[in-house]
Amino acid sequence: MIESLGVQAFFILCGAGMLLALLVPERRNPALLATVGAAAAVAICVSAATALLTGESLGVSLWSVPAFGQLSVGVDRLSGLFILVAGIIYLAASIFSCGYLQRFLGHYSLRAFSVLYFALFASIVAVLIARDVVSFLLAWELMSIASFLLVVYEYEREENVRAGYLMLAMGEAGTLAVLVALLLLAGAVGSIEFHGMRLAASVLGPGTRWAVFLLSFMGFGVKAGLVPFNSWLPRAHPVAPANVSALLSGVILNLGIYGIVRVNVDILPTSLIGVGVVALIAGAVSAFVGILYATTENDAKGMLAHSSIENMGIIVAGLGAGFAFTAAGRPVLAGMAFVAALYHLVNHSVYKALLFLGAGTVDFRTGTRDLDRLGGLIRTMPWTALCFLVGSLSIAAMYPFSGFASEWLTLQVLLRSAELGSPALKLVFAFVGVALALTAALAVTCFVKAFAMAFLGMARSRSAEQSAEAPASMLAPMGALAVLCIVLGVTPTFVIPTLSDTLESLADGRATQALVPPFFPAAPDHASLPAAFLSEFHDLGAQVGSSVVPGRGLVVLHRGGTNNPVVFAMSTSYGALVLVILLAVVAGIVRWATRRRRVTREVRWDGGLRQLFPEMTYTATGFSNPVRVVFDAILRPRTVEDTEETVAQHFRVAIRRSQEPVHLVDRLFLNVLTTQIGRGARLLARMHHGRVNAYVAYVLGTLLVFLILSVALG
Amino acid sequence: MSRWVLSGLRAGIRSTRYPAQPDEAPGVSAGFPSGRGLAQGDSGEVVQRCPTGALHRDGGRIAVDPRRCIHCFRCARARDAVAWESGYEWATFSGGGPLTNAFRRSVHVRVVDAGDCGACLHEVKQIANPYYNAHRLGFFFTPTPRQADVLLVVGAGTDQMRTALEKAYAAMPTPRRVIAVGACALSGGIFGPSFACSDGVGSIVPVDIEVPGHPPPPLAILHALLLVTGRASPAEWNASGDELGAERGR
Amino acid sequence: MRAAAIVPPMPDDWCIRRSVHRDFQGLRCEMEARPEAFKALCRWTAETLGYAFAGLVVEQHREEWLLRYLFHATAARALALEARGSRPSATEDGANGASACGWIHVLLRQPLAQVNFPSLSDSIHAADWHEREAEDLFGLIFEGHPSLGDFVLHDDAWQEGLAPMRKEFDGRKPPALRSPNPDWRPERIVHAPGVFAMPIGPIYSGTAESVHFMLETVGEDVIRAVPRLFYKYRAVEKIAEGRRAEDVLLLAERFNGIAAFAHGLAFVQALEAISAMEVPARALALRVLLAELERLRHHTGAIQEICESTALVVAASQAAMLEEELLRLSCELTGHRYLYGLLACGGLSRDLQDAAIRSAVVRARGILERLESLEEKLVRTSSFLDRLEEVGIVTEAEALAFGVVGPIARACGVARDLRIVQPYCSYADYPFEVPLEIEGDGYARLRVLFAEARQSMALIEQAFARLAQGPVRAAHVNVAAGAALGWTEAPLGAALHWLRIDARGAVVRYRVIPPSFANWHVFHRAAEAFAFQDFPIILASFGLSVAENDR
Repeated sequence: MIESLGVQAFFILCGAGMLLALLVPERRNPALLATVGAAAAVAICVSAATALLTGESLGVSLWSVPAFGQLSVGVDRLSGLFILVAGIIYLAASIFSCGYLQRFLGHYSLRAFSVLYFALFASIVAVLIARDVVSFLLAWELMSIASFLLVVYEYEREENVRAGYLMLAMGEAGTLAVLVALLLLAGAVGSIEFHGMRLAASVLGPGTRWAVFLLSFMGFGVKAGLVPFNSWLPRAHPVAPANVSALLSGVILNLGIYGIVRVNVDILPTSLIGVGVVALIAGAVSAFVGILYATTENDAKGMLAHSSIENMGIIVAGLGAGFAFTAAGRPVLAGMAFVAALYHLVNHSVYKALLFLGAGTVDFRTGTRDLDRLGGLIRTMPWTALCFLVGSLSIAAMYPFSGFASEWLTLQVLLRSAELGSPALKLVFAFVGVALALTAALAVTCFVKAFAMAFLGMARSRSAEQSAEAPASMLAPMGALAVLCIVLGVTPTFVIPTLSDTLESLADGRATQALVPPFFPAAPDHASLPAAFLSEFHDLGAQVGSSVVPGRGLVVLHRGGTNNPVVFAMSTSYGALVLVILLAVVAGIVRWATRRRRVTREVRWDGGLRQLFPEMTYTATGFSNPVRVVFDAILRPRTVEDTEETVAQHFRVAIRRSQEPVHLVDRLFLNVLTTQIGRGARLLARMHHGRVNAYVAYVLGTLLVFLILSVALG
Repeated sequence: MSRWVLSGLRAGIRSTRYPAQPDEAPGVSAGFPSGRGLAQGDSGEVVQRCPTGALHRDGGRIAVDPRRCIHCFRCARARDAVAWESGYEWATFSGGGPLTNAFRRSVHVRVVDAGDCGACLHEVKQIANPYYNAHRLGFFFTPTPRQADVLLVVGAGTDQMRTALEKAYAAMPTPRRVIAVGACALSGGIFGPSFACSDGVGSIVPVDIEVPGHPPPPLAILHALLLVTGRASPAEWNASGDELGAERGR
Repeated sequence: MRAAAIVPPMPDDWCIRRSVHRDFQGLRCEMEARPEAFKALCRWTAETLGYAFAGLVVEQHREEWLLRYLFHATAARALALEARGSRPSATEDGANGASACGWIHVLLRQPLAQVNFPSLSDSIHAADWHEREAEDLFGLIFEGHPSLGDFVLHDDAWQEGLAPMRKEFDGRKPPALRSPNPDWRPERIVHAPGVFAMPIGPIYSGTAESVHFMLETVGEDVIRAVPRLFYKYRAVEKIAEGRRAEDVLLLAERFNGIAAFAHGLAFVQALEAISAMEVPARALALRVLLAELERLRHHTGAIQEICESTALVVAASQAAMLEEELLRLSCELTGHRYLYGLLACGGLSRDLQDAAIRSAVVRARGILERLESLEEKLVRTSSFLDRLEEVGIVTEAEALAFGVVGPIARACGVARDLRIVQPYCSYADYPFEVPLEIEGDGYARLRVLFAEARQSMALIEQAFARLAQGPVRAAHVNVAAGAALGWTEAPLGAALHWLRIDARGAVVRYRVIPPSFANWHVFHRAAEAFAFQDFPIILASFGLSVAENDR
């Protein structure tokens, strides 16, 4: 009931928002967008939260279209999760836009922005509540177009438009693949509705199953930014306005994952090991390639875009582990893997949106996104710095922030491959684990660089020196997202059961019982824990907080068999508590011990120079240069310039060096594809030489062929 | 790698026993001029011979200002030459006293070259060689003044090093002490004062311990570091009787 | 090797005056150039005659500037001299006379009001830093030089146009007005995205001399490394003016304490050349012995620094022990660890007993044997050699262009040693080898150091074996007015001291051209295109002295 009211309220608000945007004057538009957008987001969040927590499934049939079938929409737990995430990000982005959109006033039409904004919101939710192929694809196309138009919002820059077109083109190719996959499914059962297609599992043979998987994986993989379909992502995300980038990374990439999960976990649960292997390897490669380019990138938003590829890779690797475990007949492990993947998805949306908003704030105040020209912003923009720091710590998977819980869980699940039988499969899992570990290390490097170069040290340019703190309307959403990062990290024992319940209806997983044992008496299945186990952990303190905190417990724990009762255990909740107490105690001791000391501030030690200039401090390029050198064989930058100018043979007056990186995927895949397509097109173009006689001959020839065919086929 | 281990072991222990026992090995120190009772009238010529004015008449004796002596040996080669004393415990206090007891066993030293000719810096480097082995006494060199307790300055204090030296001193946390090593650091030697050079680093940073010599041998520098940690007594220049009586009594 | 007979004659109208002088130092040709033919004359001397540019002496006389460009014959010339029986024909004039000379001085005179001079650095690059120094200290402008200023007197510490070496500047106290340039920025020539200039110094490391480096880099590799010297500038040349020559000997010994004897020796040789003093044979032999003892100790110290920079601690400790033993040996023998106070005009200031010298020589031989066993171990330690081989390369072409001297030049294939090509003291009496390597990398420099240490020991033994008895000092001679050049092969290379004194024996002009001056000039070439981690090792393998360069 609440859900349907919420959804209806949402669509009404979006429609009203679009209409009002056209009526209200330009300079009021940001405020309108903020209020109506926030209201719509709240409405849909309430609806989604209800669906997620209570498990009520809403299904509404809309219209019946002749020749297709019944169009229907519905909200179940899976949709509810994705809609909730989308709503939270949209809430933050809407409030952020109030201040941020001021920079476009007078240059570009804010009315157009608002209309597109609401259209995008509505289409995203429509994708997530669609329950049949037609409405799904209609909403999907609408979402593609709306996001394209928002990406090319600053259309006066040619590179923006090119990036947007690439995104649209690759997106359409993906949509085509998705269309074919869904039609295959629909054709097998003769119904376009999702709940009908679930029966296809028993009907399809392995060949068709592979086709459906590959096509849907490729199609949705384009939208999610998996290698080798990610060429559009690092170009499109940086050129969009910051709030749109936050939406792209935090919401729209998730739609790709939603599609993969919907098709391959819900509608057509996989039974082929190969499916898992493909997903694992695609995820691992995406993760590594993404973070490698993120570490060597100096544009703040470009770096975050590459990092999105990395995180999507981790999510897909988790999904692949789930597929593999399902096919190997280990449903509990599969459930754990899917939970890890979805947990990472939620975390990624929150901290990536936070980071994009932070980068947007910095760009708003200093006019530049180039890390080599920023610096020292912590003095002028302390709150932005704090929020960005929380986001950086989360994405670098530092304990006890959100990224730690999900990445740790993913790696632990991959280690569970030890329980599988096939050595080849174990090898694949091992390779993926190694790749993800390397990725995690590079991620720390990347975000240390990002935070330090932007906020610490000396200001490297005038605009960085003269920046000021952002207005409250931009700080509040960042602060809220930062708090959410911390909350998601400190309460894994509440998040995991919610996510597990999401999947329980789809896959036969009992991840909750496996990961969050009911240590607290308040939990309904508290009695199911053996007493010896309970008493062991009682001695270790697993019951701390049972009288004040609701829920099952505060320890994430995987119970194995009798030979190893505890495979792994961690508690960010207790850890965070201990951390806070320790910090407070140490701070107190230090203050007491130095209470009579006089603290003086002296100038920084710089080797005795008469003056230290910002050009003498490390740049982002310099910081990441070791990574560039080590992975030179992969990066293979193209030397653009390497010259020396001399006067009188020995006096050097200028040395010029510059290199241009060409993305690995572009080099190996996209450029190859485009050259081949171009070659093919040129070949075909030979047909168009302008002679009418030939064209008439083509027509006659085709007619002849069809006549013969119709006769032959009777 | 084993050949290095074996050759290192074969070389054995060469460290001097100083300060537990005085070091009597030949060649450890160039010594210093010391006065003696002279008949009236002939100490004038010797005093004139000193190019930096380090000698002066004090009653019937010649007193030496160790801060000015540049070891030109002219006074030793004169017809009525001054006596020459060996020894190496030459450091004295000239400002603050030793560091507190907390630093008794170990200090970290930041060496600053304020225009040194190379000889004093070389002798400072030698205190870490196996013959003197400053590490066994707890003296370590540090590359940053932020972690230094003692600032050891060599050189006359050139004008272009003024800012650097001031900054190095300001960057040290308290408690800190400054040791000025060598005649140039104490009095400018034969270089200062001029437009490019001051008459000693005392005009740039406050000096707590002075070590005369040109250059002072490594044992004198060790004595200064022992002095700053309160483990040795200062020299008594021009005291009655033996000038360099400090190390004789130990 | 070039035969002297087919040297083409120089056009007569290049010179205003030409004269050849002979004294116990050898043959010297002075050519005063017409200003318009000056560069052509210098190029002819350097390229056609094959002489090496050694330095520039600027003198301010009452009504004119006198610039003296010093060129000396190189090894090829010395061999040619030998081929002709080592006694060049003494002619007063003519091209053949010039090509037989040990030294050629090209003079350029201009009235005091005219401060613009032609720059020689586009054809003889070794003149670059000499011209920059002259511009900073005298205020002369060398036209065509692309980067004058901010050399000796840092622009962020002193105002432009100070010219402290001019006679009218009172060097005893700082100028009343100080106005450094507030907009000074370090010179940057690298243009690359993300490039920054990492500063090192002037205070850095544990016990390093004060010198500043700016390493322009994009992260790992050093693209350009520029040293900023003269933080230790004590204006030795200025404060020497007006002092008695014996007191300036103290300055000459003490401006670079670790090569005190070599620089002091160059100074007294200049003084003795002015008054044509005959130094007794015993003094000459002892001078050679002590100079080689100093070289042996200096090279041991340089080896110790190289081992320390590569963190081969055992080798560094063993080399440090050997150096300390040599210092103690020096102190026992002469009374001072760094050989101060031994030189005097006309010989030595005191004699040394034969018995003491014998025991010192025997002990030095023992120390050398231990040094050789250290060398044997080092050349078989691959991890040590890895840091030195093919690192910090100076090519022969660069060494010739920058006028590099000393062991660094000899490691690049440039065989120049003043003890052979311009013999002084009694070096001509003791045959010895000058080691030569061609790679020009750190390992080649290390090998040269070891080989020179061996040769020094051989020279010490030869000097002692043929030590004459007799006085160690000439009878006192009145020092006359005049000017002369004294030179030695100091441990780091060719050291030149130019001295002009007046009738009362006071110094009018004292010019020091230390070997580190040219070697610092080429240092940046060796450090570029290598990583940060190699920088301290390249620095140690050069073994340069900042105090010697800064004076």
